[in-house]
Amino acid sequence: MFTDEEISIFFEELEEKLQVISDNLLVMEKGGSSPEAIQEIFRAAHTIKGSSAVMGYEKMSALTHEIENIFDRLRQGRLVVSKELVDTLFEALDTLRALKEEIVASKNETADIVGITARLRECALSCEAGSAAGEAAAAKDAAARKILSEEKGSVPQGGASRPVAEEVELSDVEEAMVREAEVRGYQAYWVKISIDPGCQMKAARAFLVFETLQQVGEIIKSVPPAEDLQDGKYESGFDVLLFTQEDAGQVKNLIFSIAEVIDVKIQQVRASAAAADGDHSGRATAGAAFSQRVQEQSRENIKTVRVDVQKLDALMNLVGELVIDRTRLDRFVGVFESRYDDELAESIQEISSHLGQVTNNLQEEIMKARMLPVAYVFNRLPRMVRDLAHKMGKEVDFVIEGRETELDRNVIEVIGDPLVHLLRNSIDHGIEPPEERVRLGKPRAGKILLKAAYVEGQIVITLSDDGRGINPAMVRKKAVEKGLLTAEAAARLTDKEVLDLIFTPGFSTSADVSDVSGRGVGMDIVRNQIEQINGSVEYVSVPGAGTTFTIKLPLTLAIIRALMVELGDQVYAFPLSNVVETLALRPGEIRRVRHSEVIVVRGHVLPLIRLAQLFNQESAQNNPDERVFVVILGSGEKKVGVVVDRLLGEQEIVIKSLGSYLGQVPGLSGATILGDGSVALIVDARGIVKEGSGEEAFYATG
Amino acid sequence: MGVGSNADRMMQAVVFNLADQVYAVDINDVLEIIRPETITRVPGSPDFVEGVIKLRGRVIPVIDLAGRFGLARTAPAAENSKIMIVEAGGATVGMVVDNVAEVLQFSREQIKPPPQIVTGRETAYLKGIVLAGERLIILLDVDRILHEKEKEALEEAAADA
Repeated sequence: MFTDEEISIFFEELEEKLQVISDNLLVMEKGGSSPEAIQEIFRAAHTIKGSSAVMGYEKMSALTHEIENIFDRLRQGRLVVSKELVDTLFEALDTLRALKEEIVASKNETADIVGITARLRECALSCEAGSAAGEAAAAKDAAARKILSEEKGSVPQGGASRPVAEEVELSDVEEAMVREAEVRGYQAYWVKISIDPGCQMKAARAFLVFETLQQVGEIIKSVPPAEDLQDGKYESGFDVLLFTQEDAGQVKNLIFSIAEVIDVKIQQVRASAAAADGDHSGRATAGAAFSQRVQEQSRENIKTVRVDVQKLDALMNLVGELVIDRTRLDRFVGVFESRYDDELAESIQEISSHLGQVTNNLQEEIMKARMLPVAYVFNRLPRMVRDLAHKMGKEVDFVIEGRETELDRNVIEVIGDPLVHLLRNSIDHGIEPPEERVRLGKPRAGKILLKAAYVEGQIVITLSDDGRGINPAMVRKKAVEKGLLTAEAAARLTDKEVLDLIFTPGFSTSADVSDVSGRGVGMDIVRNQIEQINGSVEYVSVPGAGTTFTIKLPLTLAIIRALMVELGDQVYAFPLSNVVETLALRPGEIRRVRHSEVIVVRGHVLPLIRLAQLFNQESAQNNPDERVFVVILGSGEKKVGVVVDRLLGEQEIVIKSLGSYLGQVPGLSGATILGDGSVALIVDARGIVKEGSGEEAFYATG
Repeated sequence: MGVGSNADRMMQAVVFNLADQVYAVDINDVLEIIRPETITRVPGSPDFVEGVIKLRGRVIPVIDLAGRFGLARTAPAAENSKIMIVEAGGATVGMVVDNVAEVLQFSREQIKPPPQIVTGRETAYLKGIVLAGERLIILLDVDRILHEKEKEALEEAAADA
C-alpha cells in the first residue's frame, strides 16, 4: 500500500533516528542525565513512534511508545538515570534494530517485545525520583528546564495578535503554540487539502502530504486526526495546522506537487491575545524545543538536496566522457600546433587548457558530491566497542577523530567490515584486562584511537591502541605451530616479514578462540577487502605499548592513475597503486629456477611473468637480444615482474566495468576508454601478483 | 482499441545477412546499428566473444554471431559489415553482421515455428521462421542468444573441473 519511495523514506528516517538514540544513550551513559541527550532521544522516539504507526508496524510503534514514555518522565525529572536503565534502553534499541531488520527482510515483525517492554517498565519503577541520588538528578534536570524556560521568557511577547478566523477552532494549547511560533518568526497556516475522490491510496497520499509538509515545518494538528488519515479514513480531503517559515504560496506549490491533490486552501492563523495570558508556562519547554527543531530543520532544508545515487553515477559517467574527450583534444592541439604556427593555434591551445581546467573542477566537484563523511561508518562503532568491552570484561576509552573526513560512498561501504574486525582484534587481543593494566602501570581503561584524515590525496585511517602489542616471537611460534611455514623458514624471516604473517589465511594470534575474534579468518580478509578498493593496510606494533594499523584509501574508485603499456597491438593499463617500479633488462638478466623464470632485483628474487603468455597473445618483441621491459607489481609484501613490449607512460583513466555479459575475466579487472577512442583493458594486478608469487618463490627470498 | 490490437498483431524486425543467410531480430531488442570500429580483444573470454568496443562512454562486449551458431564467417570484415547493438535481460551486447538489409514489417501470423527436423545450435536461438513473400527469414531470439551463454559456460566449467 505504500510506494517504494515512501518506504525508503521511512527506512532512511528510521535509521537516522535510531542512530540519534544510540549516540545519545552513549552520552547519557557517560554523563548521567544530560538534558539535551534526553530531549534528543525523546524526539527521535516520538518520530519513530509516529512514522512506524503510519506504516503499520505495530510492535515498533508500541516499543518506541514505551521508550518515549520513559524519556518524557526523565525530561520532567520524575525518573533518574541509572546504569540499569541505560542498559535496558540499549536492549530496547537492539530490539528496535532487530524489528527493523525483520521489516527490511520480510516486512514482518516477529521479534518479541513483551519481555523488553516489561523490563523497561520495571526499570522505570525502580528509577523513580525520590531517593537521594534521584533528587540530585531531578534538581539538575529542573535547572536545565529552567534554562529553556528563561530562553523562552526572554523573547518579547507578540502584542498585535488578532483573533483567529471563525472557522478555525484551536484549543488553548494550540493557541499557545501558535503564539509561540509567531514570536519565533513562524507563520501558522490552516491548510485545507482536497484529494481526488477517485484516489486509490488515500492513506499513502495523506502520508505524502504530511511528509512533504514536515520538510518545511511542523504539523501541529490535523482534522480528521492523524490516526484516521493514516488509515485513509477521510472523505474528499483533510485540514492541517502547519507552522512554517515559508510563505503561503510556496506551501501551496509544494502540496500541489503531490499527485491527486486537487485543491489547496491556505489561511493564516493568528493567536488571540486572550490566550497569551493562558497556561503558557507549562508549554514553555515544549514550545521552545519545538521552535528550535523547526529552525534546525529549515536550516538543513536550505543546505541539502537528496539526490539518487544513480543520478550521481550517471553524472560521473558523463564527466568521465568529458575527461576522455579532453585528452583527445589535447592530442589534437599537439597536431594542430605542429602544422600551423599562428594565432589560431594559440587560441585553440587556450581553449583546450581552459576546458581542461573546467573539466578538472567539474570532476572534482562531482567526486565531492558523491562523498559522505566517514561518520557514516564511525558512528556505529562506539556502541559496538562498548558492548564488546563489557563482554570481554575490559575497560576501553574509545576516541574518534576526523569524523567529518569525506570519502567516496563506494569506499565507505567497503571499509565498515575491516574496521569492525580490527577494532574487535584490538579489544580482544590488544587491550589487557583492567587488573593487568594496573599491574603494568598503565591506566585501567585501555585507549583506542580511531582517526581519519586526508594525506596527499589519500584518506588515511589509523586505529591505534595502547594494549600489549604484537610480539614477533609469538607470531613466529604460532605460524610454525599452524604449519604455515617451517621453523627454519620462520627463523630466516625479518621481524617485519614476521609481522606480515598475521595477514596469512588461517592465522590467528589469539591463544583461545572466542566468539569475538580469533576464528583465524580475520586479517587476510581485512587486507583483501581493503586492497580490493585499491587501498593498503599496514601496521606497526611495539610489544607492551600497543599497535597502530594504518589504512590508506583512494578518494574515489571511479578514476585511477595507471601505467599504460603496449603488448602486440593492444594497450593495457596497470593501476599505479600496484606498480612498484619499471625496469629495462637485458635478456641475460633473466634466470631460470626449475621451470620458471625469475629476475633478481636488488638481491630479491622475483618471479617473472610474460604478459603475452598470460594473455595468450602475440608479442611484437621477437628479437631475443633486445632489452625487455619489466613492470614490477606489488600487492601487500609480494612482488612479481611482468614482461611487456613497451611502456607508454602514466595516465588518468576512468574505470569501466566489462559488463555483466562478460562478467569476471581472469587477469582483467575492467576496461577504460583511451584518448583515441579505443578501449584498453585494465590488468588485475593483484590477481597476477597472487597467482605469480607462489609461496615457494616468496620464501626463497631470504 | 482497434489500433492496439493491430499493433499487437504486427511486428517489425531488423533484417540482416550473415554468412549467406538472412536473419532478423525484433526491432525492440535493437538499440542501434553502428559502423564497425576497432575491437579490443579480451584475453581469457569465450571464443565467440570478439572483444569490447566503446559505446557512448560505456564498454560493451561484441560477439561473433556466426561463431555462436557454429557457422563460418564468409569474409572477416565485409565492406558493409555493421555492429548491431542489442539489449536483452539487462545486458547490452554488440553483434557483428555482414550487412543490414532492411526493417521489415509483418504480422505475427507470418511467423512459423521452426521445423522439428532442423537441429543444430542455431535452432536453440530461433523464435521462428518468417514467410515474407518468397523469402524465408530466420527470426532470432536475442534473449536466448545472450543468456544461453551463461548456462553453457557453466557446463564447460563443470566439465573442466
